[in-house]
Parts: sequence; structure tokens; C-alpha cells
Amino acid sequence: MLQNIHIRLAENRVNTSLAVNRRVPKIFTPGEIISEQREFMRGHGTYEEDIYLKASVAGVKEQVNKLISIRPLKSRYNGEIGDVVVGRITEVQQKRWKVDTNSRLDSMLLLSSVNLPGGELRRRSAEDEHMMRQYLQEGDLISAEVQNVFSDGSLSLHTRSFKYGKLSQGVMLKVFPSLIKRSKTHFHNLAVGASIILGNNGFVWICPTMSNDEDNVGGFVQNLEEVVNCILALAQSNVMLFDTSILYAYEESLKYNVVELLVPEAMVDVAILTQHRLNLCENS
Amino acid sequence: MSRKELLSKIGLRQDGRRAEELRRIRCKLGVFTQPDGSAYLEQGLTKVLAAVYGPHQVRGGRSKAQHDAAILNCQFSMAVFSTGDRKKRPRGDRKSTEISIHLRQALLAAVKVELYPWSQIDVFVEVLHADGGVFSACVNAATLALIDAGIPLKEYICACTASLANNNVAMVDISNQEEIIGGPVLTVVALPMSAKIVHMEMFQRFHLDHLPKVLNLALQGCKDIKVILDEAVRNHVEDIGSTTGWSNTTTKQ
Amino acid sequence: MLTTKVFIRKNKAGNFLKNIREHYLRDDINCGISNCDHCVPHLNSITPPTNENKSTLYNFNHYLILDTNVILHQMDILEEDVICNVIILNTVLEEVKHRNLPIYRRLNNVMENSSRNFYLFPNNFHIECYVAQDKLEIINDYNDRCIRKACVWYMQHVPKANFILVTDDVANRQLALKDNIHCCSVENYVAQLESAANLQDKLAHHEFQYASKKDDIFPPHLTTVEIHQGIKENKFYQGVYHASRDNFLEGYVTIEESDESLTQIIVQGRAGQNRAVQGDIVAVELFNISEWTVPSDMVLEDEGLVESGVDEVVRKETELKLSKGKKAEDKKPTGRVVGIIRRKWRQYCGILQQDGDATNLHQLFVPAERRVPKIRIQTRQGEYLRSQKIVVSIDLWPQHSRYPEGHFVRALGPIGDQATENEVVLLEHEVPHNQFSEQVLKCLPKIPWIITDADVAERVDLRHLAICSVDPPGCTDIDDALHCRTLSENTFEVGVHIADVSHFIRPGTALDLEAANRATTVYLVNKRIDMVPELLSSFLCSLRGGEERFAFSCIWEMDKDAKILNVRCHKSIIKSRKAMTYEEAQITIDDKTNNGAIAIALRNLNMLAKILKRKRLENGALVLASPEVKIHMDSETMEPLDVEVKQLFETNSMVEEFMLLANISVAEIILEAFPDCAMLRRHPSPPVTNFDPLLKVGQNLGFDIKVDTGKHLAESLDLAVKKNNPYMNTMLRILATRCMMQAVYFPSGILPRSNYFHYGLAVPLYTHFTSPIRRYADIMVHRLLAVTVGSDATYPDLLNKQKSQQLCNNLNYRNRMAQYAGRASVAFNTHLFFRNKVQDEEGYILCIRKNAIQILIPRYGLECALYLQTQKCGDVVLRAFDPVTVRLSLDSSNVQHERFVLKLVHPYIDGFSVQPLSVPSKRKNEIKNKKKINEKRKKQL
Repeated sequence: MLQNIHIRLAENRVNTSLAVNRRVPKIFTPGEIISEQREFMRGHGTYEEDIYLKASVAGVKEQVNKLISIRPLKSRYNGEIGDVVVGRITEVQQKRWKVDTNSRLDSMLLLSSVNLPGGELRRRSAEDEHMMRQYLQEGDLISAEVQNVFSDGSLSLHTRSFKYGKLSQGVMLKVFPSLIKRSKTHFHNLAVGASIILGNNGFVWICPTMSNDEDNVGGFVQNLEEVVNCILALAQSNVMLFDTSILYAYEESLKYNVVELLVPEAMVDVAILTQHRLNLCENS
Repeated sequence: MSRKELLSKIGLRQDGRRAEELRRIRCKLGVFTQPDGSAYLEQGLTKVLAAVYGPHQVRGGRSKAQHDAAILNCQFSMAVFSTGDRKKRPRGDRKSTEISIHLRQALLAAVKVELYPWSQIDVFVEVLHADGGVFSACVNAATLALIDAGIPLKEYICACTASLANNNVAMVDISNQEEIIGGPVLTVVALPMSAKIVHMEMFQRFHLDHLPKVLNLALQGCKDIKVILDEAVRNHVEDIGSTTGWSNTTTKQ
Repeated sequence: MLTTKVFIRKNKAGNFLKNIREHYLRDDINCGISNCDHCVPHLNSITPPTNENKSTLYNFNHYLILDTNVILHQMDILEEDVICNVIILNTVLEEVKHRNLPIYRRLNNVMENSSRNFYLFPNNFHIECYVAQDKLEIINDYNDRCIRKACVWYMQHVPKANFILVTDDVANRQLALKDNIHCCSVENYVAQLESAANLQDKLAHHEFQYASKKDDIFPPHLTTVEIHQGIKENKFYQGVYHASRDNFLEGYVTIEESDESLTQIIVQGRAGQNRAVQGDIVAVELFNISEWTVPSDMVLEDEGLVESGVDEVVRKETELKLSKGKKAEDKKPTGRVVGIIRRKWRQYCGILQQDGDATNLHQLFVPAERRVPKIRIQTRQGEYLRSQKIVVSIDLWPQHSRYPEGHFVRALGPIGDQATENEVVLLEHEVPHNQFSEQVLKCLPKIPWIITDADVAERVDLRHLAICSVDPPGCTDIDDALHCRTLSENTFEVGVHIADVSHFIRPGTALDLEAANRATTVYLVNKRIDMVPELLSSFLCSLRGGEERFAFSCIWEMDKDAKILNVRCHKSIIKSRKAMTYEEAQITIDDKTNNGAIAIALRNLNMLAKILKRKRLENGALVLASPEVKIHMDSETMEPLDVEVKQLFETNSMVEEFMLLANISVAEIILEAFPDCAMLRRHPSPPVTNFDPLLKVGQNLGFDIKVDTGKHLAESLDLAVKKNNPYMNTMLRILATRCMMQAVYFPSGILPRSNYFHYGLAVPLYTHFTSPIRRYADIMVHRLLAVTVGSDATYPDLLNKQKSQQLCNNLNYRNRMAQYAGRASVAFNTHLFFRNKVQDEEGYILCIRKNAIQILIPRYGLECALYLQTQKCGDVVLRAFDPVTVRLSLDSSNVQHERFVLKLVHPYIDGFSVQPLSVPSKRKNEIKNKKKINEKRKKQL
């Protein structure tokens, strides 16, 4: 049983904001006029009314030639081809699975886009269709890559690579998609014995690194929890998530034990120190 | 006859405000991590939490999904401890259902649902303390939560109440005490930038002659509230943007 | 607009709800001092330094800051013009409002007077003056602390000005001195004022030095907490105390909201009454049944002097005790007053008691209202005041004092003077009778007043019609006129034209508010207190003969049987051909040779009116009666020359019928248009028990009077006729009138439809439309009707049910008071007429009491008691309604309460009656001729 239960009043809450670097571009809020000229093209987060181009979300302006869009700092996941995502099966349909990928609509995983056991280039038979639920059923977690984006914004996924597929024995975290930094690889094996999949859609998968020696089974759970709490701490303070930041955070968190890491002050402390180290790296 | 006057001779109300002054508004965006957008708003002592989920796949029966727009689902509830005497149940009673419907209608006026066919947006508001102007506080909080969730809006949706003191003077942002003392309460939901009225609701009656001035004051209140909300949004965006280094917006270029 | 916030938590009893309220503190509040260096001058809140407070106590000009107790107790002083440059703190104002609403209103009136330089400073919202209440601090201490804080702030804020805190609270003064605040008591301050020598008389005294030396005369009152506790436990009852008119040691308490049959508790003696004053809301304790007593019928008068002790009272108390206790079945619930819940003290008119030393500082005041005890006052001008009618208010009634302590407010004029007596009548009935204020007069139209083309365009031009008005002689406020023309052989067009007062009195103006407050014109015998300024009442609105006037017309088409074919209402312009008296109109009708347009119209009107009246009576309308007299005044000396019963002509009834018809028609129209806020008049049917005295008399005389419905009552009254006593029927009707309820105004929305009924007139709907010059209700009805016919717009208060209700309450109250005032004035003048006169008059026995016979003398509309020693005397039997002859004279021994003394002349009883005076026979005949039934005009119905 836990000995210490912390309850605090709202007025004692910890300010989790780390904002130090006030390099502020122009911010647009809904209804604000972006341009009074018609020469621009309307992109995401904007709309036209009368002769004006107005913002419809709160965020920063992005301009590509004549295309103006406002990108909100936070939104549902907007998939792009090649993104790595982690998702959850919500429905098994004919020849396809529906996957919740934190996107506006459920994504689609076609039977033809998965690697079935027994050979890569095997034809999909009717029997396979009946066996779909054996392979992936509702609630299962998968990692996948975005194969295609349909016109209504929904995604088509594939798992035709060795690194994708069903996930098991691990922990899934949900963070805002905007906090996942795009990088070359989203699969990381941390030195501490944890593997991480940073799904572009904000779903983060953490599992023990598959290693051949089965000896350190006792230790990895502890490390896994530490990593989970580190990621939560970073997410709470809106620090971008990528391998370095997680690693730094893990290192900074070593002075706390797992339970202490759930205390808001500790979480902010970890986030601040991480941010600080990241800034140092960036500047050097 | 009530011994208390809504507006004293020197033009001060029971709580010391003047007729055209709003109560203090404090608000915060992104108070939760689980929903896509969330906000907390205090208008005087009225305290409201709002959370927005979505747009997401329509759950529970595909038949509800619309091919041309997202479904907007609103739920209003009041914490059992929010009023002076404890409420029996937080939601589902007539009044809550009515407010839910009104909230939905009000928000539909600005949320660009047509961008998200087949999906659904959920808005949940919870009143923690009711001290007058509950519905308007809910609308304002829901607006902030929607903005936090990055859901496109035509513009801010602001709501404000107004009343008539001493049968003559219009006053804005009615507190619970003033509601009790008496006087009609006009609630206006507006799009303050285009000065469009989205929703209007009135308890008790007053003479039609007074409507213009009461309505104008309520609209002015909506505009004032918009300024306050806008500032909160900008602060919030700056705050997040500078921690993340504006990375997800600028690094791509 | 910077605001800061603190929370004020309040616990309410019962469920202990926690109320949290915001309290914004401001930094933009003006200090109100014009030459202040910090505050921006504020338009309406300036206290200019021009007026100077002159006091020998302080040799510098200063501002006053008043404590709550000063305002609550010394309002009469504050109303004096010498007190100026005063800062009223909001804390104080709120407390005054909470404690005493009438004082609060008076204070507001004072503050509105800009020459007085009163400034209201909202200290509790000022960021630097606000102090938070400590947890254990009582509210009084907290308020005192707020006041001191504000004083200190003012001293720092405007160092060049001086501020004096005036308070009667010694503790507060001491604490204030510690903060270096100048402070003093009211008494000190007023005593040192240079300009007001007699102001000290007006001081209310609340502290008495000799309190400890005297023995307590009265038992102590319980505390508020004990009273509430007792009422909750049903140990005590709450009720209104009424003193007995004739016995100063007896009173009764009417219990509100009692579920039992207990409605009245008698309280007797000093201990029983325990300092309750007429009208107070008190808590009473009920005795055991064994201690109950019989209400005494003794007349006991308080004969005490200023300094006399209670011996006399003790003696009279014993007397009272001995006088009764005979019959057990007559015993009534008896109890004693244990505490006062709310005092209903007001200002009382009266005189100083004449005996005793006039130069004494303490004088005894005898109120005109007999139910109010004598009041002890301090005055330095006793000799002068003894010749005056004065106004006095009560300050307190300490336990050791036989009389309540009060202070002199003002003098009205010499005793017995007619103007003074009028003033007394008006004051005692709370009739507003000040001059119209500047603001009100500003609302009047400019003279010369001309009818513009625009006016003509929006009105129907009826100037071509032969319209005439019929009124009592000498009437200057003519508000109704009539016309009638023959449309075809069988149809007539009948029009009632009412002065369009609402055209001149626009809603919301000062004039309108004043009229709404006055509610009605009050008619005293020799004085008229107008509801609206004379320019309107006697000139612009008055439908004078031969002048073009605006009117509101109600026009019917009728057939020969007076059946209404249609009705329409509109605003119009009329030109009355002639303003006639009832008598003139009667002569015109009767003069067969006169065939002018007006004569024909009048004849037709008269014909139709008769049919209308017949129909009305068939429906069950009551013909009621009350003796009404007219007093002829000498125009120069203003002394009554003669008193006579008002004369009635057929034309009175004719005009009345059409007014009733107009009222009914209009009531229907406005109710249809405004089901929620039409101003109507209802006359509730009286409860059957009200008729008990009537039934008793009826039984005695052998008539079967049915009272179950108005119709039956009317029919049975018609049947109750005795050949040998023609006046008897009238007497019955007079009695019936007294059984009736008061008719009242009400907005239609507050009652169910079935309650709209007018009992006396037997119509389902009724309102007042026809006298807007003298009744405010009619103005409201005019406005409603104007909206209905599309010639005017509504305004907010017109459609507000609550506002209408409040207005109606005021109208009803004022109407009642106006009626009483009118009667009081007639009574006074009748007394005046009878001074030094002795006359034999014919009268009728109205009812018989234990030790007196109530006799009505129709010629003077008098009702007096003939006191008897024994029930039986010889073989003469007197019954109710028997005619008698009595000798009438006036007993002026009591200056304030003159009364008639009757002596029986006929039937002659040995040893009791007196011999008749020699009355000129001519006079007697005259009296007989005038003995017409005096139908009460439906003015009051």
C-alpha cells in the first residue's frame, strides 16, 4: 500500500510551463484577418469571407509561395506518407482492419498490406480472410507506416516490413502528436534496456529491448517505468520528444525514484534540466 | 418589494461593479492532457471546465455519421457541489439537457464542421461553481477548448448576460445574487467580430423599449470577453510555441 | 476600473448554506470634495466649500461624517437646513436602510436636496477604506470600525479640510479620539451651532442620566432572540397592537396567521400593555383561561401630568379590575405584551397639555389620535407652543417612565384655526399636500396653449357635436361631458367624453410620478388638494363650456331599449356647448318649451339612463346609502354657514349611469387587450358574517333580509318598507353599506378571473375611466386604452404586473385616506358650525347599545350616542329605526376632541328627557321637504 498520498489544491499547482525562449512569431487567432488581398491561396486553418482571408485556428502562419495556411500548435494527427504510427485495431472488416491512429477518421489496414506468416509474396486466399481475427483482433496494438492518404483525410497503413507489426509486452503512451519530432528513425533502442517507437501520431510504444540473454528480466521493469515517467514529464511540459530528449530526461531523472517522478515538482525539474541540456547542444 | 437594489444611487452594484463592468474573467487553456483540447474559465465565481475530443471517428453506430459535416456532440453537466444546495444529479435533468442543446446550437454557428465529414466532435463542459451566467461561461470555456484542440472556427463564440436594473438601467454580466434579487436575464451568444447574434435567451420579461439597450450592452460584453479570451489564447500559444521552439511549424521548411 | 476581490462568506441559518459573493474594491471612487487635489471633480457629487458650518465648538469650517445612530434617531435635526456639508458613508446608509426604511427614505430626500451638500461616499467599495470583518467581530463594531477607517482616510486624503465625526456612541467616540478624529455627540454639536437656537428642542433623547434613580414602572421587554424562540415554540403570539379609544389602560392585539380561532387578545393595565403604542407589532403571551377577563366598557382617561407618578394609574387599574369579572361567558382571551417586534411610531399631531407650568422644560403632549398615549417632550418654548398645534415624534419609552419620551418636530399653527385643522387632517391621513415642485411645474405645457394641425390630424374632430357637461355647482375640474344624437328612428349615438389628461401627463415625468404618488384629489370642506397642478385640473384638461379641448371619447350606438349595438373609443377634439349644473340640466329637461339641440339630447340621455338603471337594478345592483352633507361656507370668513344634505336630481343619476356604462365598456376593452396588466376595480362580496348586524335589525323589524347573493340582498332591501316610517328603508341601506367591503384597484394579472366581479354594481368587470383629473387610476386606464386604440405606445411600467400592483396598493391606500380625510374635515366643520348652538333635531335610532343609543341625524349626517343610565325607564320602548327628537349641543371642554351631547326630547321620559326648544315651524317644514333619499353617488364604488 502507498504510504503517501499527495492531494493539493488548485492554487498550489505547479506551473509546468518552460517557456523561456520568447522568440515569438506573429500569432493568428480564429477570425483574425490574414490578408486583404485575393492573390493568396487558401490553405489549412484559413477560410475566405468577403474579400478577406481569415484564420480559423490559433497558430502561426506558414506560407509556401501563394499558399497560406495557419498551423495550430495542437490538433489531431494529420498523416503523411511514410510516417510511422502506432495504432489500435478497432474493427475487423472484410479484407481490412480499422485502426485508431488518433487521426480524424480511423485508418485502414488492408489484408494485402500485411505480411502474413509463411512467405512474403503469398497470394491471399479466402482462408486468410477467415483467419484475420486470429492474426489481429480488436484492441491489439500495431506499429505501421502510412502508405497512402485518401482525399477525406483517412489513412491507409501497411506493415510490410519486419519492424512493423503487432506489438506486445510493453506500454503505450498517448501524447499530443505535435510533440513528436519528425526524424529519420522513430525506432530507438535506448541503452537502458528499453525500446521506443515514437509514433508520429502521438502514440508512443515502450517495451524492453529484445536481447538474447534472458538474465536481466528483473531489472528492466524498473527502467521501463522510469522511461514512461520521463516521457510523461516531458509531454506535460511540452518538450519535443525524440531519442536525445528522452535519453537526457532519463539521465536527469536518475536522482528520483520511480514514484517520486510522479510528483509535479520532480516532473518539471526533469523537464527543465532536459530542456537546458538540449539548448546547450543546440547552441554548441 | 426587495430591500436590495440592483443598482445603487451612486451607480454601484451589490458587489461594487458599475453597470457596464464585467466580472473578473480568468482562463487557462490546455488544462488536461487526455482530451484533444481543454480549458478552464472563471467568470466571477462561476467556474467551468471544458474538454473537447475530436474530430474522431463516429463511435456507436455509423448511421449517425454525416457525409458532409462532423457531428457536434455537447454535454453539459453541473457538479453536485456547484450550487448552494447540493444537486441530486449532475446531468440528464431537463435543464441540463436544454443547456446541452443550446450549447450545441451556439457552437455550430462558428465551428467549421463541414471540414470533417464522417467524424464527430465531442464537447464536454462541467460547472464547478455556479454563480450566475452559467450558460455564458460554458460557451466561453467551450470556445477556448475548441481553439486548444485546433478545431477551425470562423471566429470566437462569446456569450454574455445582461439585465435591467431598477427597470431602467441595463447592466451586464449578472451574478447569482443579482439573479435572485430579481430582474430579467438576457443571455446572448454572439460572434463578436462580425457582431452576429447566434443565440438569445431570456428569463422573465421586460418591456420591448428596453431591449435595444440591454442587447447592446450584452453585445458589448461579448466583445469585451472576446478581447480577454483572445489574450489568453495568444499567451497560451506563445507559451507552448516557445517551449517546443515552434518546431513542428517551422522546422519543416 | 481596477478591481480587486475578496470573498465575503455568509452563513444563513437553517441549512447553513455557504454563500460566497464577490466584492470588488475600486480605486476610481471620488471623495466628493471639490477642491481635492487627488480626485477628478465629479459632476453631481461636489461638496462646494461655499456653505459654512458655523459652530462655536469648532472654529474652522468642516465636513460632518455621521454615525448610523445619529441618522436613525435624529432625522428631524438632519432635515433642518443648518446641517450641511455632510458625508454619508455607504456603510451607514446600508445600515439605516436595514434598520428603518422610512428614515432611509427621509434621508434620501435630504440627500437629493443639492443645496444641503450631502455626499454619499461608497466607502465599502473603496480600495483604501475597505476593512475586512474579523471573525468574532459583531456587525455593529465592524460598522463603527469602517466609519472610523473612512474618517481617517478622509483626513489623509484631504489634509486641508476638517472632518468631524458625529456619533452618540460613547465607545465609538473614544476609539475615534485614539485615531485623532475630531468627534462629538449630536447634542454637543447642535447646542453649539450658532444659527439654530430652537434646534435643541428637536433633539431626540436617548440617554437619561437619572435612569438609575427611578423605579421601573413597566416590566422589561424580552430580547429579540427570546421573542423569536417563544414564537417558534408557540409560547407567544405575534400581532398588531391596537389601543382602545376610550380606555387608556386597555388594548387588544390582533393576531396574524393564527390557525386557531384566536384572533384577538386583550391586554389590560400597565403590565399588560407594557409600553406598546398603537400600531406596533408586538409579541403577546396568553394567560390561562382562569385569568381571562371581560373587555371593559368603562371610559378611562389619562389625567396624568408631566411629573406625576404612577399613583393615579395604579388607582385606575384597580378601578378597572373591580369593575368587571361578572359574567364568565363574556370572558375573552387575555394576555400581556412581552416584547416589541417592530415599532410603528410615526409623527403625531396634537397639542401640549394645558395645565401645569408652561415654562417647565418638560411638557406633556396630547396627541389628536386618542389611541396614542401622551408623550413627554423637552422644550424651551413651552409657552408659545401651548397655543399651537404641533407635531411630535416618539424617541423611546424607557422602563421607568410613565410616558414615552419624544421631541418636538414643528408647529402647525394656532389651535382651532381652520388652516391648522386642515393641516392636521392632511397630516394624520398622510395626504401629500406640498406645493408642486419646480420639476413638476416644468412638465406643464406652455401657455398660451394652442391646438396644432398635428394634434388635429391624430384625433377625431368632434367639435361639431352638441356636447355638454353636467356637474355639481362650482365645479372647476370638469372631466366628463356627454352628447347624444339621433341616428335613425330607433338608434341613438351616445358619447361620453373624458378629459384627455394622459395627453398632458406623460409617463415617467416628474409630473406623472407626483400624480401617481398623490393618487387622488382630496376634497376637504373648504380646500381641494389637487392631484395635478391647477393649470391642468381647472383649465387645460377641464372640459369647459365653449372651449376646444382634447378628450378621450367612448361612443356607443344604442337602440331605443338602451341595448348597445356597438362601441368605439378614440381620442378626439371636442367643444362643449355648455357646462351645466345638475339643476340647470334638470330645468332644461323639464322645460317643455325648450327644444334646442342640447335639450333634446338631454331628454334622450335621460330616457336611456332610466332604462340602463332599471336593467342594472334588475341585475342585482345595490342601491346603497350613506348620509352625505354639504357645508355652505361663508366665502369671506370661511366659516360654515349651514350644513345640509346634498340635493339630488334626476340628472345626477343620468350622468352616473353613463359614467358607469363607459367604465364597464372600457374595462372590457382593456382587459381584452391586456389580460395581464389591465387596471381594474373590483368589489369583493362581503363574507356573510359581515351582515350579522343587518340581519339582527331585520329580524327585529320583521323583515327577511337575504344576504346570500347581491341580487337577493337588493331585492330584499327593496321589499323592506314600512309605510309609517319612510326613512327606515334608507336606514337599512345605510346599515347595509357598512357591511360592505372596500372596492379596490388591481392589475388583472394577479387574480383569477372570477375575482374581478364588482359586487355593488353587479357587473363582472369594472374600472375607473371617467375622472382622470382627480384620480390616477383613470390616467392609467386612459393610457391602456390609448394603446388599445393605437393612438399611443406602451411604456415599460405600464405592462409590468409588479409595478402595477405596487401602484394599485398606493392608489387604494391613498383613496381610503382621502375618504377619511374628507370625512374628518366635514366633522370638524360641523363642529365648528355647532359651536355655541343648541338645537332640537329629528333623528333615527340606528342601534341600541348597552349604555347608549346610537342616533343618526340625517339632516347633518351625524351619528351620535345618547348615553343612558338604565336600560328601562317607564313604559317608553325604543326600537331600532324609531324616529326620535333630540337636543343637540357641542361639548368643547376637550380642545382636541369636541363632541356632540344629545338629550332626548321626544319621546318624553320623565327625569331624563328635556323640554323641546321652540323651533320655528318654517324650519321644520323645510326639513321635511329635504328628507329625500340620499343615494350615495357611486364615486366610492
